[in-house]
Amino acid sequence: MAIEYKKNQALFVDVISVDEAETFLDWLQNKPNAKIDLSRCNHLHPANLQVLLASKVAIAAWPKDANLKAWLETVLQPA
Amino acid sequence: MNPLLEQFLSESREFLQGIAEKLMQLEDTPDDSHLLVELFRLVHTLKGNSGLFEFPEMTRVLHAGEDLMDAVRDGRVAFSQQLADQLLDAMDFVSALCDQIEDGGKIEAELTVDSYRLSESLRALMASQQKQAEVNDQIEKVTQVSAEAVKLDLSKLPEPVRIEAYKRTMAGESFYWLIYTPIETCFFQGEDPFFTARQTPETLWGQITARESWPKLSDLDAYRCVLDYEILTSASHVELLEQYRYVPDQIQLIPVDPWSFVIPQGDPNGGAVYEDFVVDALQYLDAGDLDSLRPVAESMLQLSNPDLWLSSALRWLLLLIDTVPPNHQAITILIESLRSLNAPDWSLLTANSTEYKQPSTVSSAPVIAEQSIAEPEQINTTFIDSKELSEEDALALETIFAAQLQILQIDDQASWQFGRVKAAASVLLNCCKAIGDETAIASIEVAIEESLSSESSAPLLAWLNARQQKTSPVKPSESNAVSAELPLGLVSLEEQATTPEPEQITPEIISPELVSTEELPKFSRRPDDIASAKSLKVDQSKIDRLMNLIGEIVVSKNALPYLAQRAEEQFGVRELSREIKAQYAVINRIAEEMQDAIMQVRMMPVSFVFQRFPRLVRDISRKLGKEVHLVLEGEETEADKNIIESLADPLIHIVRNSLDHGLELPEVRRAAGKSATGTLTIKANQEGDQVIIEINDDGKGIDPEIIKHKAYEKNIIDEATLERITDREAVNLIFAAGFSTAEVVSDLSGRGVGMDVVRTAVEKVNGTIQLESEVGLGTKIRISLPLSMAVTKVMIIESDNQVFGLPMDHVVEIVRIPVSELISIKQSKTTVFRGKIVALKTLNSLLGLPTEPLVNSDNEVAVLIARIGNEVMGLIVDDFHETIDVIQKPLTGVLAGLGAYSGSALMGDGSVLMILNVRGIL
Repeated sequence: MAIEYKKNQALFVDVISVDEAETFLDWLQNKPNAKIDLSRCNHLHPANLQVLLASKVAIAAWPKDANLKAWLETVLQPA
Repeated sequence: MNPLLEQFLSESREFLQGIAEKLMQLEDTPDDSHLLVELFRLVHTLKGNSGLFEFPEMTRVLHAGEDLMDAVRDGRVAFSQQLADQLLDAMDFVSALCDQIEDGGKIEAELTVDSYRLSESLRALMASQQKQAEVNDQIEKVTQVSAEAVKLDLSKLPEPVRIEAYKRTMAGESFYWLIYTPIETCFFQGEDPFFTARQTPETLWGQITARESWPKLSDLDAYRCVLDYEILTSASHVELLEQYRYVPDQIQLIPVDPWSFVIPQGDPNGGAVYEDFVVDALQYLDAGDLDSLRPVAESMLQLSNPDLWLSSALRWLLLLIDTVPPNHQAITILIESLRSLNAPDWSLLTANSTEYKQPSTVSSAPVIAEQSIAEPEQINTTFIDSKELSEEDALALETIFAAQLQILQIDDQASWQFGRVKAAASVLLNCCKAIGDETAIASIEVAIEESLSSESSAPLLAWLNARQQKTSPVKPSESNAVSAELPLGLVSLEEQATTPEPEQITPEIISPELVSTEELPKFSRRPDDIASAKSLKVDQSKIDRLMNLIGEIVVSKNALPYLAQRAEEQFGVRELSREIKAQYAVINRIAEEMQDAIMQVRMMPVSFVFQRFPRLVRDISRKLGKEVHLVLEGEETEADKNIIESLADPLIHIVRNSLDHGLELPEVRRAAGKSATGTLTIKANQEGDQVIIEINDDGKGIDPEIIKHKAYEKNIIDEATLERITDREAVNLIFAAGFSTAEVVSDLSGRGVGMDVVRTAVEKVNGTIQLESEVGLGTKIRISLPLSMAVTKVMIIESDNQVFGLPMDHVVEIVRIPVSELISIKQSKTTVFRGKIVALKTLNSLLGLPTEPLVNSDNEVAVLIARIGNEVMGLIVDDFHETIDVIQKPLTGVLAGLGAYSGSALMGDGSVLMILNVRGIL
């Protein structure tokens, strides 16, 4: 569905669309120590991925989706 | 199909027609900037519309067309005939796509390639006309880039993935390295490159890379795409093109050489200290003792830390040893690499050993033969577990055998002969082993023994010849065809030997020469095949219903005067009668206007039919090598839709006939003292309630003598007619069924149905057709058609106290002729009217009524002079009444069989008027 923002954690759920990227970027800028939970994520638009990459934010949980995980691991360094 | 798509299709057809028209106008006036702008606008709008739907093929071609037109508009590219041809071709393609969408709602995937090539050819046209040097630069640049990219570094792939890929390649699969570089603005086009990449079929491994280092978060533009995707896939070329059909210019497909998977990796652990192992291993290898080499390598691997470079190399070594059959040269290279701990240099591998890794690879057969002399024992690597031969393999085998035959037949230098025989022998033997043909192996071994002992190639040749006779010989062209069909990257030996050629799909690399018009598939269709444009956005049945309703209003409105009459005469209220009449006048006016309005809706300009002629004439005249100038006049003339539509086919026939038979070749025309360019004029105008279409050509005309004799030969006329027929009548014989003067049936004409069909079609809508021709000067065909079939003007006539309607088309005039002037010749009556003899018939006798026609007080009979076809005759009736507009209804049921009447109509007082069919009663 979307990104659920908790106190210091962003929860990626289902498919993250291109529209989310802007809000996500804003949110991240205010939370330099945030963690990302990707476990329930099935797909994310590359705009969001670019934000993830640029912020070098810590990944709290990797996607359960094996295919997505394999793809992400090639570019996102495990924390 | 949703309404939006439906509308898109109908609009597209209109646009395409418009584009074609403008293009042809531009051919005549290439400098007309106004036309150019119009044309650009049309292409641009069509492209924009196509973007609403998922038709990237269509959009791509149109986009290229748009770019090209833009360049022409800005004067960067000159308008040329070639350019027009290409654009017309592209538009035909788009039209074909429209048809396909209409039929199935989607576009077949294989058209992606066509659309791509077409758009490239359009772009190439643009490029080729621009500064050549600039283009060359560009091409050079792109080739350089791609050449660098070709040196695939697959070391970033995890070893298990590479091992898997290597194994699968050995099992006959081929891999592509796909580099997908989305454009930076792609997010704004609604694309999700990551999703596209994830959906790539048969993905073995994929990677995302960032093009640049990341800026501070505050400077980041999340919507600028800077991620690239690299994918290792075993999907076919077509599948990949299908997956990336929207972005074929953003991907790069590189066939992967299996050796690029074999990269030992790991910790060097203090450097190269394995000299002992290398020496031992090479010794085993030289002795061909792989069985001893394997345990040595295995134990070495067990002793080593699996993270070491050495261990990785050993794992590969074991894999290579276990590959069936092992490639000794490759193993050597791998072992040698242990000396330096540098990655094995596979470029040292000779072409053939690389090549042999690919099953079903056929290159030119002699090359294979040469290699087999060098390393005869390697030939069987060509076939991996292929007991059952595929068609390609079978063909390859035949090619190899044919090559051996050639080699054995060479008889130049005796000193080479022995080696040659030996090489050929081992090739044949290995081939037979590969296909598992035991009997052949036995017989060939005997032949080889004999050949070697006698030092002559004769026994082997005999064996080959015997075998060759059993199977059909392979033509060289066939073997070429096979290599052309092979998957990319396997095509040519030389290519494979160096580095695989990347398939760079960027517009620039396809040079103009490559996409020349000859090589392109033609999408051209005969213009007359194109489905008629559905410019009427309202369903025609709805208009017809309106038409019927207004007909009923007209009839009921006509009842009012009768009512007024009754009010006055029967009830004596004059006042009321006057008011009814006043009201009637108002209703009458509105009803008439309404009727006129509905008729207008049904009216279409003849340009609907005419607009296809420029293209038709252009295409046919090109085909025939004739120069034709087409003049269209009166395109705005309007007529009922049904009439216009019925005109289309006859006109096409006539125009084709004029082009094929009428107009001469330029040299013939010059010899006859005419201008080289023939003129074909199609003119439409309105005469009364008739539409007149004239088709004139200034060609050689029709020779009535030839027509007469042809007609006589084909039993269309008898001998007596042949003698007395006038020239004018003779030329009209071409409308007879089964008539054709052409000796040879061509795809244009000569089947003898054309003009007959024309006549029938015209007569079906109550039209007439006439032909005039003068030998050497040209032919003129005149078609006259009623403006509308909906409303018929009829004259009411009375006979034996009954009223009948007679269509005004047939009425020439009405006269009263004194009985004294009627002359009886045998049974029939005639009269001399305006200096001509006119045959007379009484309507009563024609309808089987027993009464004699009435004679008025001046002893005159009422005669209606009617024209039927080209003849004029008189019809004696009792009296004439007014003419009225009626909406004719066809007779149905049992009445439908009555030939004397063409239909019926309702009169204002509610009575039924029967409309006479003049042709039917005479």
